[in-house]
Amino acid sequence: MTTTRTGSPTPAATGRRSPRPDRAAWGFLAPFLAVFLFTFVAPIGYAVYQSLLTVERHGPMGLGEPTLGFAGLDNYTLALQQTSFIESFGRVFLFGLVQIPVMLFLAVTLALLLEHVSGRWAGVLRATYFLPYGVPGVIATILWGFLYVPGVSPISDLLGGAAPDFLAYDNVLWSLANIVIWEFTGYNMLIVVAQLRSIPQELYEAATIDGAGPWQTALRIKLPLIRPALVLTCVFSIIGTMQLFAEPLIIKLQAPAVTGDYTPNLSAYNDGFANANVYLAATKSVILAVVACALSFAFLSLVTRKQRSER
Amino acid sequence: MPTRRDVLAWGAAVAAAPALAACAESPGAARRTEQAERRPGQKVNLVFWSWVPLQKAVALWNRTHPDIHVEVQIIPASTSGGYQKMHASLKAGTPPDLAQVEFYALPEFMLVNGLTELTAYGADKLEGAYVDWQWRQGVFGDGVYAIPQASGPMGYYYRQDLFERWDVDVPRTWDEFRQAAIKIRKRGRGARICTFPPASAMWFAAFPWQRGAHWIQADLETDTWVVDIDGKESLEVADFWDGLVRDDLVALMPDLQGGWYRAVQTGDLVSWPSAQWGDALLRGNAPGTKGKWRVTQLPQWEPGATASSNYGGSSTAILQGTRHPVEALQFAHWLNTDPGSIDLLIGAGYGWPAARIELEQTALGKPDPFFGGQVYNRVFQESDRNVDTSWQWAPTTTQSFSHIQDAFGKAIAQREPLVDALRDAQGRVVDDLKAKGLKARGA
Repeated sequence: MTTTRTGSPTPAATGRRSPRPDRAAWGFLAPFLAVFLFTFVAPIGYAVYQSLLTVERHGPMGLGEPTLGFAGLDNYTLALQQTSFIESFGRVFLFGLVQIPVMLFLAVTLALLLEHVSGRWAGVLRATYFLPYGVPGVIATILWGFLYVPGVSPISDLLGGAAPDFLAYDNVLWSLANIVIWEFTGYNMLIVVAQLRSIPQELYEAATIDGAGPWQTALRIKLPLIRPALVLTCVFSIIGTMQLFAEPLIIKLQAPAVTGDYTPNLSAYNDGFANANVYLAATKSVILAVVACALSFAFLSLVTRKQRSER
Repeated sequence: MPTRRDVLAWGAAVAAAPALAACAESPGAARRTEQAERRPGQKVNLVFWSWVPLQKAVALWNRTHPDIHVEVQIIPASTSGGYQKMHASLKAGTPPDLAQVEFYALPEFMLVNGLTELTAYGADKLEGAYVDWQWRQGVFGDGVYAIPQASGPMGYYYRQDLFERWDVDVPRTWDEFRQAAIKIRKRGRGARICTFPPASAMWFAAFPWQRGAHWIQADLETDTWVVDIDGKESLEVADFWDGLVRDDLVALMPDLQGGWYRAVQTGDLVSWPSAQWGDALLRGNAPGTKGKWRVTQLPQWEPGATASSNYGGSSTAILQGTRHPVEALQFAHWLNTDPGSIDLLIGAGYGWPAARIELEQTALGKPDPFFGGQVYNRVFQESDRNVDTSWQWAPTTTQSFSHIQDAFGKAIAQREPLVDALRDAQGRVVDDLKAKGLKARGA
């Protein structure tokens, strides 16, 4: 297997091709690059620029015409001094540590079970599991909100006195996790299903000949071979968790336990829009982006290092 | 080692930076108000963002003023999305001409230079048509920045039938309110006197206001905002509600939400200290309780006193960046003073008019079957006269409210005293003001 990891291609391999990249390739890349620069690189640059600015006040009671000044790293100091902002990171870490494994476990289980459902029903079930992903996060949260609020919730009615307060201080994070799991399990399942489809039939035949039952096939063949799909869904989920926004924003209306800076994204949003301080909001967004980036790459390097050491 | 693509991407980013810096980055509204030239007979279109159902009044304007057409766009209420939208539009330089802005939020919009100064367009001549203290909500320095629409003098809504059935006296003082709460809890089978909504800081603020507190005062000599959220009066009020919460005498659900409306319908909540505009909410959301409600003055902190308070209040603001300030001002003044408009707004439950009115000559002066034929607005008329109008709002009130709400929510969940929550909020509010570049200190 080590031979597949080659260094730079030998001159023989590149043959007649010129050392300069093909102009045609750039032509094909241009539309992507233009959109990428305009919608990705430029906004990030702008956010970084804004994070270095601050408003200076003038006039009676500071209500006069404001001016803009260079703040250096003042906004970063201010953001990192806010304990509620730091706590919001702790909250999404905890959320991710529980929610991502549960969701991926469910996704893999559903995908493996689907393999055993034959023909027409497989399609119907797959579509059913995927359906919640088609419901926008805001709508999903409103739906679940009705199931959570005591007084209107049929679940609370059914359970009577034994019903927990889903929106209470210690519970609301897990009530949110439940919404996110409901939304995204089907989506992740679909990625796993696609990967399962790509496993060559010969492997299963060989396994059957070797006497492997369904359990052994699942554990020894399918699970190791869907590893790339799991890594992918895991990275998506880490990024998604860091950016948790719509669900807490909506559930906040029903749950006083959800504060204005419940998640880092919500905190940035509130600074930018509710408090009209776009400069602090830009700062918080940059910090969030750096943390999400660091986490994703840390996870990827952890996984690849493990892969390398296995070889 | 960075690949060629990395190098290119970074190069592009560096190249883009000066271009971005050249974007006119302004700390407040991106566009300034200017009067566009108008040919005689030319039709003008105004866009008006509001969450108050005032379409009927606007339709009346459009019928009677064919050359100034106003289009109402309904937006989410105040901080649940409305102000966010307004701030974003100001920043982007694409604001509507007019917007609904509550009194407490006006200083925040001042801070981003988001309101048009209206004396330049003749607003100072309109002052006489409005109740003095409501007019002053839109006055900053020498300028006029908003036309007041309505306020929320407070009263005490209660279910007369249930109070009678359980032999509960209508409370005249907050002590009696507590006694009533005890009786209701004992005799009402699950009912409570009202809810203490931890996430309604503006509602809570009305009670320190009634007690004589001043959360914010502008020290004009030093240009400093003086914060006093944890003053003696406020702590006394917090302590009072604390006792009700501790002894399970009040519900703890959020108000004005599904669960609350249901409890009002079923009689699980039997009274509500609230503003005049609460009438429309009761009427609209609990039609089954028609005829069972009455209104009286707020319970008093001192027996025999007549202190009242105000909860909410709104203005029609002309945002920075409009091209038709003259026409917008004309409309804003008409909307809030024209008798026909006021009657339609009253029907929509917009609050207590900012215009000087004779109660008997408007729809407010009629007996109301929902309140058992009581001319309940006489109560609010008296209440309105007893509001301490020296109360002020800080330019970071949205943040202050969310600090108080967060602290109350936590205090109630973890059974900590509300008094501590107020002390916690005090420090944060001072910090918020300073973080905005303003001068601030505790009282």
